[in-house]
Amino acid sequence: MALNRRDFTVGALTGLAALSGMTVAVRAQGSKTIAVLFDGLYSEFWVAGIQIIREDLKKRGFEIMEAISDQDDNKQFEQVRAAIARKVDGIIIVQTDSNAVIPAIRAANEADIPMVHFNRPPAPSDAFSVAIQADNQKISRDAVTYSCEVAKASGKKHKAAILIGDLGDPNAIQRRDGFQEAVDQYPDVIEVVAKIPTEWNADTAFAGLTNALQANPDISFLFTSSDFLIPQIQQALKTADKWHPVGNENHVIFTGFDGFPDAYALMKDGYMDACGVQNLFYETELAIQAILDLQEGKKVDKLLLDPGFAITQQNIEEKKEEMWGYVLWKEKNPG
Amino acid sequence: MTAVPPAHIAQSAIPRSGMGRLLKLVLSEYFILVLCLLYVAGIYPFVPEILTWGVWSNILGDMMPLLVVAIGQTFVLIVAGIDLSITAIISMAAVVGASVMTGTGGYLSGSAAAVPIAILVMLLVGVGIGFINGMSIVWLNMPSFIVTLATRMFFAGAAIWFVTFHSTSSSIADLPRSFSNFSTGSFSGIPYTVLVVGMIAVVAHVFLSRTRYGRWIYAVGANPKAARVSGIPVERTIMMAFLISGACASVAAMIYAARMQTGSPIAGENILLDVIGAVVIGGTSLFGGKGKIIWTVFGVLFLVILDTSMKLLGASLFAIYIIKGSVILLAAMMDTLRNRILAER
Amino acid sequence: MTGASTPFLRVEGVRKSFFGVTVLHDVSFAVEAGKALGLVGENGSGKSTSMNILGGVIQPEAGSMFLGGEAYAPADPKQAAAAGVAFIHQELNLFHNLTVEENLFVDAFPRRGVLPLIDRRAIRASTEEVLAEVDLQVKPSTLVAKLSQGERQLVEIAKAVSRNARLIIFDEPTTSLTRPEVERLFAIIERLKQRGIAIIYISHALEDVISVCETITVLRDGHLAGTAPKDDLTLQQIIAMMVGRSIDTIYPQRLRSGGGDRIFSVSGLSQPGVAENVSFDIRQGEIVGLSGLMGSGRSELARMIFGLDPFRRGVITINGKPLNDPTPRSAMDAGIAFLTEDRRGEGLLMDFTVSENTVLASLRSVAGALGILDKRAISRVSLDMASAMRLSTDRVDDTQVKHLSGGNQQKVVIGKWLRRQPVLFILDEPTRGIDVGAKQEVYRIINGLVERGSAVLLISSEIEELMGLSDRILALSRGEMVGSFDSKPFDREAIMAAAAGVGKLEAAE
Repeated sequence: MALNRRDFTVGALTGLAALSGMTVAVRAQGSKTIAVLFDGLYSEFWVAGIQIIREDLKKRGFEIMEAISDQDDNKQFEQVRAAIARKVDGIIIVQTDSNAVIPAIRAANEADIPMVHFNRPPAPSDAFSVAIQADNQKISRDAVTYSCEVAKASGKKHKAAILIGDLGDPNAIQRRDGFQEAVDQYPDVIEVVAKIPTEWNADTAFAGLTNALQANPDISFLFTSSDFLIPQIQQALKTADKWHPVGNENHVIFTGFDGFPDAYALMKDGYMDACGVQNLFYETELAIQAILDLQEGKKVDKLLLDPGFAITQQNIEEKKEEMWGYVLWKEKNPG
Repeated sequence: MTAVPPAHIAQSAIPRSGMGRLLKLVLSEYFILVLCLLYVAGIYPFVPEILTWGVWSNILGDMMPLLVVAIGQTFVLIVAGIDLSITAIISMAAVVGASVMTGTGGYLSGSAAAVPIAILVMLLVGVGIGFINGMSIVWLNMPSFIVTLATRMFFAGAAIWFVTFHSTSSSIADLPRSFSNFSTGSFSGIPYTVLVVGMIAVVAHVFLSRTRYGRWIYAVGANPKAARVSGIPVERTIMMAFLISGACASVAAMIYAARMQTGSPIAGENILLDVIGAVVIGGTSLFGGKGKIIWTVFGVLFLVILDTSMKLLGASLFAIYIIKGSVILLAAMMDTLRNRILAER
Repeated sequence: MTGASTPFLRVEGVRKSFFGVTVLHDVSFAVEAGKALGLVGENGSGKSTSMNILGGVIQPEAGSMFLGGEAYAPADPKQAAAAGVAFIHQELNLFHNLTVEENLFVDAFPRRGVLPLIDRRAIRASTEEVLAEVDLQVKPSTLVAKLSQGERQLVEIAKAVSRNARLIIFDEPTTSLTRPEVERLFAIIERLKQRGIAIIYISHALEDVISVCETITVLRDGHLAGTAPKDDLTLQQIIAMMVGRSIDTIYPQRLRSGGGDRIFSVSGLSQPGVAENVSFDIRQGEIVGLSGLMGSGRSELARMIFGLDPFRRGVITINGKPLNDPTPRSAMDAGIAFLTEDRRGEGLLMDFTVSENTVLASLRSVAGALGILDKRAISRVSLDMASAMRLSTDRVDDTQVKHLSGGNQQKVVIGKWLRRQPVLFILDEPTRGIDVGAKQEVYRIINGLVERGSAVLLISSEIEELMGLSDRILALSRGEMVGSFDSKPFDREAIMAAAAGVGKLEAAE
């Protein structure tokens, strides 16, 4: 066995020597690489997000190093370290866990690589990175306010339900708060009777909404904290005979959030009254610009807000081109 | 190295020519290491960074949590068991340990004893779950697969539930600096994690190959009846393997928690098959009685090199799985072939 | 079918040898339709070889066989079965996870037309029919696993009947049956005879043979020792014909250490169904032989003493100290060593090396601080063992025991235990499956052991081995101690009769 070990060492060293002899980088030279690290592609929002980032980066001549952590914070940490080892020029990350990402930010800081959080801010810390985030509270407040006006115009009193996201997710909390601020302005019109926790889970959302509709059959005002729940909502409302377009007397005033292609389709057909839209195009622009600015040594704020906008039955025609969901919808439904 | 069982390395009748040496290398127990080298050589033109110091220090660092769990799993596999609960042990130990020492609302928040006690508590969680596994297997005579599957589900759920009492978010953050130093600090150039896991590996190796307890483990795995007739305490031996596995998993929990500076209830959730895969690729038998720590080290190294190269390539998730699956299958096929050649010699 | 006067099966001058050793010398016997032939003889007398020839497993070198008047020379078991020859083995060939009806038809499921579907209704009907035939009152859909041993045997017989067997051979059918089950079996055999089926009945339980069979054929050392109608034979005559020779000189002489101290004793050992109030003792330097049929509880007795099997009552004393609730470990600590009858399954780790096996039961003696093993010491003691045992190899560190011959493997097992210098060595079938030369060496080792003062409890199916080695022989039958034979030369017939459960309690003082 001792002999074996020696043989092994000799073989290994020979091999390594041969390899280092051919250290002529084969990779294309000169271009800059950006690492794009996502948590997962769970909904159309993230799929669209990574696509838009990809296209934008390509247009600007960047090379992309992509990785998905699949909800594994350790894997994501290792992906960040791999990106650093590959000496990328910037990292755009959707972190799996807002606490667990901090060591990764520190590592990027040490390697002097700019890091930008796409759509989700990290937990507060002394590490430096830039977070792009939609102004969830304002967007949802604007959208819900429009719906409240619609409710007021109907002259009736409305009972309202809200589908709340995972309370561990700041985005979900901000959307809930925006909703609350809006309805609080219309105490004579809106009475919130159901706050349905979904934990960002479609099945939980469906069960919760179905139960709420049974307990309060007269619910006529609904807000969802994310458009990815639309299929479940549609199903639950249909079952309760509440799925009717604007104008029908049984129409439920429905407000969405995110700006999915589904949401655009529903608005077009009159089932949805308003939708808070995260401006993915703008967020991508912000993220890439932040990386470029950081590379040039400019000062960038730790938090960059995407003001977003509310798309409503009123402004749909003028605003739809800015809605990422419409752009995707148009690709699928040409002409 | 006459550890049990003897790897019958061809020791004779091979000409001292280059070809003979190569053949001998392929047939030796360093085979997986050879595969690692071949793989690095093959991937090098695509990711030249694979031969940089930075990448190798990452590989070493990434290996440590996997390796320490795999060492525990090696013990269990040698006694012809399997421990599926390791990932749940990691999650549970991580969140319980974090709840003790976190700066925001920890049981011992701010106390000087917080970190040592948290470490002790994490070890206790691991050993405790290992004890539950061992007891069910030994006393109730249940198959380890089903027992550890059950404890895995139970404690994976329990870990998430536990966090809800200690944090508003999905994980417990704000761990003390002195604890996270464990993953970032080093002693004369060697990272603490490498030092600790390296020590565990050496102790495990000596324990398995040089002590009578090690012999018990091999004997019980190879043939529990014969072991019993030879006066070996079969039940105690099985129990010992599961306790070791639990303790090793809690060390991995420490590494993960220190590295993320967070006690996450999903820490290590996805590594189960990587761990078992690494141990088996190394050469440890799923049917018991055969295995070595050094084999496990090679197996883990192989898997981590594979993973790292995929990350450097920036391959998409599905491509990583496909490539990883094929390479592992290929390695297993070559290993089978190698064993057949060895048997025929 | 055939006339009652001409035999249904005739075996004439059949000879067979293996590797130049003739195991069957011109053996002839015959059985008539509707009659039963008892075939008796010691282990190795040629019974199984004859049956293997009848069953087509092996082919004879000389001689001829006739079945129903036609020449019968089966080339394989399938042909034998097709000719109407069925075996009821000691180990039943049933699938425990299948139902009774599935077992009956497992190799010949009737189909429904051309479809590959099983015609369950047809199976159910014919199963009920044959079950009534053998007087077995269970539903065809009962799982075999749920049946008792006796009921399973009836299923096996039903299977033979459903295949229209004309000759049914019973090989030790009663060893694992309770007495009522035995009675029921005999009634069924009687009924089979009335249907004109010929029976060959092989058993060590001679009284059973006498009660079932019309004719008895005795084999000894591969020769035909005699055939006679049962009415012309006494039990004693049958035993004399079976044994018929003196003890060979392969049993080495031993210097008698005389009656040492009573070093080991068992009193009132009981476990329902296995042992009933068993008591005996062994002196220092004494070999006590334990004689009994398979299923008499002799191995179980050894396992209970060594702590491998539980027992309900009884006291074991060794070196004056009681051994309460023994486990293998506590038994070993008290000085007991145990060579099991299952060398491959329990005695050795077959994939491990000679030295690994040698020290397995005495790891502490080669371990230093923290249990760290001294590899040099392991090699040394293993080499010592190898030379003391005259092992065929001295490459103890890299030879796996699976590559050794049976005799050498057995030497490793013995050597492994001798390292502990046992006070009492229990040897269960120490020479099973090893050749004569190796046997002699094992005998020599055993003698050396007793000369150094150990006590030995020797279990063996070979009565000659027991007689050649033991100072005293105990006979065990159905878990009960039925005889103790003290003086040399032993009364072989008395021992066999006692072990066969004839109840001839002849404690010669």
